[in-house]
Amino acid sequence: MTAQLPLEHEHQSPRAAAANRPRIGVVKFASCDGCQLTLLDLEDELLAIADKVDIVEFAEATSRRSGGPFDVLFVEGSVSAPEQVEEITKLRAVTKVLVTIGACATAGGIQAIRNWFDHEEIRHAVYPEPRFVESLATSRPVADYVAVDAELRGCPISPGQLREFLIALVTGRRPQLPDEAVCLECKRRGVVCVAVARGIPCLGPVTRTGCGAICPAYGRGCYGCFGPRESANTTSLAAWLSDGRTASDVSRLFTGFTAWSEPFRTIIDAHGGPPRSAAAPSETPDA
Amino acid sequence: MTATSRFLPRADLDRFFAALAADGRRVIGPTVVDGSIVHEELGSFAELPTGWTADTAPGSYRLRATGLARDFDYNVGVTSWKRFTHPPVIQLTRGRRAGGQVVVESVQAEPPRLAFVGVRACELAALRIQDRAMRAGPLGDADHAARGDAALVVAVECASAASTCFCTSMGTGPEVDGGADIVLSELDEGFIVRTGTDAGAAVVDRLKLRSAEPLESARAAEQVAAVRDAIGDPIPAAGLPARLRAALDHPRWDEVAERCLACANCTLVCPTCFCTSVSVASDLDGVEGTTERTWDSCFSLGFGRVAGDSNFRPKVRDRYRQWLTHKFSTWWDQFGSSGCVGCGRCIAWCPVGIDVREELLAIAPLGAHEGPIPWPLSPAEGRAPASPASIAAATHVTATVHNVDFETADTATLQLATDDSALLAAQPGQFVMVELPGFAIPPISISRIRPDGLDLTIRSVGPATAALTTLTGGAQVSLRGPLGRGWPIEAAFGRDVVIVAGGIGLAPLRPLIEAIVADRPRFGAVRLYLGARTPRDRLFVAEMNALAGRTDLEVAEIVDRAGPTWLGRVGIVTQLFDHAPWDGSLATAFMCGPERMMQAAATTLNRLGVARRDLWLTLERNMACGVGTCGHCQLGPFFVCRDGPVFSQAELGTAFGREGL
Repeated sequence: MTAQLPLEHEHQSPRAAAANRPRIGVVKFASCDGCQLTLLDLEDELLAIADKVDIVEFAEATSRRSGGPFDVLFVEGSVSAPEQVEEITKLRAVTKVLVTIGACATAGGIQAIRNWFDHEEIRHAVYPEPRFVESLATSRPVADYVAVDAELRGCPISPGQLREFLIALVTGRRPQLPDEAVCLECKRRGVVCVAVARGIPCLGPVTRTGCGAICPAYGRGCYGCFGPRESANTTSLAAWLSDGRTASDVSRLFTGFTAWSEPFRTIIDAHGGPPRSAAAPSETPDA
Repeated sequence: MTATSRFLPRADLDRFFAALAADGRRVIGPTVVDGSIVHEELGSFAELPTGWTADTAPGSYRLRATGLARDFDYNVGVTSWKRFTHPPVIQLTRGRRAGGQVVVESVQAEPPRLAFVGVRACELAALRIQDRAMRAGPLGDADHAARGDAALVVAVECASAASTCFCTSMGTGPEVDGGADIVLSELDEGFIVRTGTDAGAAVVDRLKLRSAEPLESARAAEQVAAVRDAIGDPIPAAGLPARLRAALDHPRWDEVAERCLACANCTLVCPTCFCTSVSVASDLDGVEGTTERTWDSCFSLGFGRVAGDSNFRPKVRDRYRQWLTHKFSTWWDQFGSSGCVGCGRCIAWCPVGIDVREELLAIAPLGAHEGPIPWPLSPAEGRAPASPASIAAATHVTATVHNVDFETADTATLQLATDDSALLAAQPGQFVMVELPGFAIPPISISRIRPDGLDLTIRSVGPATAALTTLTGGAQVSLRGPLGRGWPIEAAFGRDVVIVAGGIGLAPLRPLIEAIVADRPRFGAVRLYLGARTPRDRLFVAEMNALAGRTDLEVAEIVDRAGPTWLGRVGIVTQLFDHAPWDGSLATAFMCGPERMMQAAATTLNRLGVARRDLWLTLERNMACGVGTCGHCQLGPFFVCRDGPVFSQAELGTAFGREGL
């Protein structure tokens, strides 16, 4: 860290301070790279942040691999293939603070829907030549394999939360990443509740805030991409949503980017697993 | 003010809008957005929800075209007026920390001049109720007061009732009896206009309206009378506060918690709920720091969270009970009225249709009043009356660190120098909010009051306290305070004194001990019982050893776990006086420590004869605003920051040591 340091570092020489710049890495597993793009999308701030930290590895930005060690390692993507199990274990050993970013890394991602199906059947449905592909029977969150110190949720992650996390990191304070429901953000923004006023199914009450309530603000129900909030009462919400819907319809509402998270998975299991048919037109997100 | 009612033809509404907006006021009123009638800034009355009403039911709100040309033929939409008097987010402070120098100042925005059009009787009551809460003091919320005072209120009497309305039971409507600058009653052909204030009369006089015909006024009166009949009296409100607080263990709390999503919608659409949280932001250099106040809710887990990741309301049943008992019962203790106005928003906008009326009837039915009442209904005996509110922005005082003493490995005493007269007049047991810009702002008890400053003894439990305990001489911090009600030292004059401290709990007791020692002849026997986790966790060791050497004090110490050099007692603090020979009925006791320790100590002290009204303790809660306006530290009828942190055991009643409150 340089320039305006917290007081406890003031006695340090500039050289010592430079040596204290945290070594940051960004790596990816099974994912679309969208969360890494959020980091690049910070644009102006990215330069200022880069001035405070050493970005020693960044999969989306450069092919240079460092192998660690890392003070902070951002991990995108789910663990979906055998070699990824080995890789994440190695990375954990050389990382002080491991931060999972995005729905894939924190919940298993959209690809975790395959966890409910026969592995071979899915491989044949997806790949013309599955024999060239090695994959695990399940797509799982990083935390199923190694200890995780912090997580940034979302599909993709929120630039605001990433900025807050990075600023907290370099200034030595605790990042403010609320775990409450999306509903609070809707109400603060003055977004009219799409569930109550228009009967659109919305996972906002059981989903963690952080997105800024984007979907309800555009008249769509929340589809839970930030995953379950604290105290997510999915059982009650599913019971309410069951009025006038089939079990398959209810299951479909929870079968999204964070379907494998426990509170959502429970509902999907209780409603016959992920739906096998296309959504009814009235229940698509654009309804 | 006009005593007579006037008549505004529908065709003249535009002139009315122009008169409201004439002196630069922005007009906020109802309009249809995204399937609801909301309150927004209007460009003209053409934007009113003409011909619309809404059908409401638990968990449902649906607009419906009426086919009539009426503009206010609905009851309440999703937006309550608190959006404008108590905005969802406001900036509180901006601060700067560079080279050890710290400055924090309040940010107070000039309140916008607004006209609120379409305010219903229940909403008028809500504006009054929230205003009372935010001015309750000791320091009223300046922003809230300024916004409310700047608004011109145009009320509309309801001409129909929604299925979720229950203003009649709450005594807030549907008739508009006062509190508005202008009151409208809508008829098909126009509006009966009454004025309630000079400001309202000034607007109406400009319109040169004819007087209303008696028949017109009579029709308006019939209309609102029909609304009253339609609503009936769904909630028997008489005795409700007592019935509710006697039902804290009702099984229905568990049942409603199974349905409740704890999503906070009920509290955010509620026109009186005022709870907020403070969040901090900083730049990358950690130099500029700001704080914002944001709507929050007792339904979120984080709202009951305190240092060390413990939580006062971990379960949804605790949170639902907190909300309902505050709204309908302990609100009376705090603000002299119910906190509910019967608008029904919490019923319609609950995503799973929980109906507060049903819950109240199940939990606190008429006649049921069997359990013990945990708190008396009037302010407890011996509590200082609430001081009149002074409405001013919070004062932030920069103090300089004179010296830092490490008491233990993780606990430091900061000696702060200040010449601020308010801080220097602090009383033992009071606390201050301590800010380093960019960091969370912890409440810290004052551990010594000196002629030229204060001592704060701080344990490093998170980033903010870590930053504070690693300050060095010459660095600055920003203080707000002194806050809270301290130890009632005069209550012990002429009596024996027992002081029980556990761990860091000795810090707020130290100024009390010093005051007693300085005035020693005024007290009988003085006994200090000190507990610590290990010998290395003892605080103020030299001072306590010096006290132990005096002949006019008794000092006993104990540790949970001994080290190799500890020759003293090992165990829990109550063992120090478990078999004490003294008569507790002659003693006033003061204690501070972990809540579990204080519960055990209170039991023992009571057994020794210490009366509940003579046992004083200080509570740690999630104190955020320090002046009773954020709601975080609520405990039954109290705000710990304002009414405490020092309470007598008698005042707390069964709230002391009870889980989930």
